[in-house]
Amino acid sequence: MSSPRPSPAPPLQLVLTSLLRADFTVFLKNRRGLLLSMILPLFILITTNSSTSTHNFGGALFVIGLAIAYGLLSASILGYALTVARDRDQGVFQRLRVTPAPTWTIMTSRLAMQGFANLLITLVVVVVGSRLHHLSLSAGTYGLVLLVSILGGAVFLSIGQALVGLVRSADSVNAASRVLTIGLILLGTFGQSGTLGPTWESIARWTPVGAVMTLFAAVLNLSSWGTHDSLDLLACGGYIVVFASIGIRWFQWDAR
Amino acid sequence: MSDDGPVSDNADPVGRDRRSAESVEPLAEVIAAELFARISVRDRLDTVEDAHGVAELIADAVLDRFVVSPRPAERGDRHVARAHPADADVILDVQDLSVAYGAKTAVDGVSLRIARGEIFGLLGPNGAGKTSTLSAIEGLIKPRSGTVLLDGVDIRRHPSQAKAKLGVQLQATSFQSQLTIKQIVRLYAGLYGVALSDAEISAGLQEIGLQEEASKPFKQLSGGQQQRLSLYVAVMHRPALLLLDEPTAGLDPQSRRQLWTRIESIRQAGGSIILTTHSMEEAEAVCDRVAIIDHGTLLTTETPKDLIEKHKDDPEVRKLAHGEVTLEDVFIGLTGSAIRE
Repeated sequence: MSSPRPSPAPPLQLVLTSLLRADFTVFLKNRRGLLLSMILPLFILITTNSSTSTHNFGGALFVIGLAIAYGLLSASILGYALTVARDRDQGVFQRLRVTPAPTWTIMTSRLAMQGFANLLITLVVVVVGSRLHHLSLSAGTYGLVLLVSILGGAVFLSIGQALVGLVRSADSVNAASRVLTIGLILLGTFGQSGTLGPTWESIARWTPVGAVMTLFAAVLNLSSWGTHDSLDLLACGGYIVVFASIGIRWFQWDAR
Repeated sequence: MSDDGPVSDNADPVGRDRRSAESVEPLAEVIAAELFARISVRDRLDTVEDAHGVAELIADAVLDRFVVSPRPAERGDRHVARAHPADADVILDVQDLSVAYGAKTAVDGVSLRIARGEIFGLLGPNGAGKTSTLSAIEGLIKPRSGTVLLDGVDIRRHPSQAKAKLGVQLQATSFQSQLTIKQIVRLYAGLYGVALSDAEISAGLQEIGLQEEASKPFKQLSGGQQQRLSLYVAVMHRPALLLLDEPTAGLDPQSRRQLWTRIESIRQAGGSIILTTHSMEEAEAVCDRVAIIDHGTLLTTETPKDLIEKHKDDPEVRKLAHGEVTLEDVFIGLTGSAIRE
């Protein structure tokens, strides 16, 4: 045989556009899932609307932060991880991988669409939260909130990626993601409010939910930004690096 | 292990000039003797020299067709295809391929060469290494060792370029369940770099009898319809090589017949096909050559006819045969009759 001859592979832009279009179509058809991801955050905003409840969670900004963190958590772990696990189980990824599309484009398109969903959830929760808690937010604050939404979303998406990296079957991912989501929600709610005592409060403070929630609260009131918030930023970065590394290292495209 | 040894000089495309004396003459002599021996021919030819002239023309045509530049074989000629394709004709060149899953070796030193316009069957019992071999060719798994060249392009080094030449129908194909048939076609057209208008998509779906189902999700299609769509998606970019992993599994006879008709038309258009199947009748009927793989090792690569001819007198095969020896008898004779997991 002669030496390798270059053959025309489809343009990357066309490949990415096609994947994004398909994933956006799937996203639109899954809008019920998006609405379900908003139920818990909106429920938290409404039920903590009294001054006592708000005080228990450290104030209105923390309540809004907690609500956004829960929205991102459920969308990323119950949404993204489950969809990836199910598609892997059904051989959808294998079919995509035998096309000329580079594998990174397949995952990038998925993550981009989930990032878009995360931004929508954040926007809705912040708008509703600021109304309920009578907060007036500037355009700059909204911009910062959306930036933190990308960061917070990345934390939970990397956890979701680690989950599908470590657990192979869709059924097991389904079970594990529910346990993980419930565990993180309970830890965030009861630990953060101090109901479980100071030890659990400290633990909850540094969990992914606690770190993301605190970051959201900090950017909603930027004048109060302190060392703790910088440490939260670092913690979020650390979570992304660790969980994404696990998720990429052990991820298998095939469920078998 | 490989059955595909080095290609003979005669098979070299540049051998056309030097073959006249070396390879045409002996072949012509044999054919001439055969022709002259037949009364019907002798009646029209005065001397053996006349017969030799005719024979030379025939030999030239034979070599042209099967050694230098083979055209897609006609249905009846299929089983006289060459055992070893010439370099210039090779569309897939697999050398010393080994695939391992942890400590388990699934494919052990497999070498294959597939020619343009050839239908090649990869046969083997369950767990023999067929799907692992195909997966390595498709670039889905990283082989432990060996090379896979697709029309000269290394699948590991240039995956996108190599995959652009490849059409694949996987054993268990699934498309995104939320997408409609039309959306699936649009997605894969983009991934293969094929520009398709709405009208062209509709025409394509009409061609495969799925026009009515264009707005249905994949899961709502019957097995035969799913298979038709999978094949349509696999060949929409006119690949040089089509890989079919058990394409007829679970299909009714009508769908199976339709599938083979489509596969035959792909080959007639010059496409090469490599397929795995458990149906020896199908392999015998449609494949130019077959390879039998077991325990990850290639046992043999022959035309079905030659394979039967070669093994028809094996005691093991004779014991299995009920009357005329079939490819299935040879297959079981070579791989054993124990049921595999």
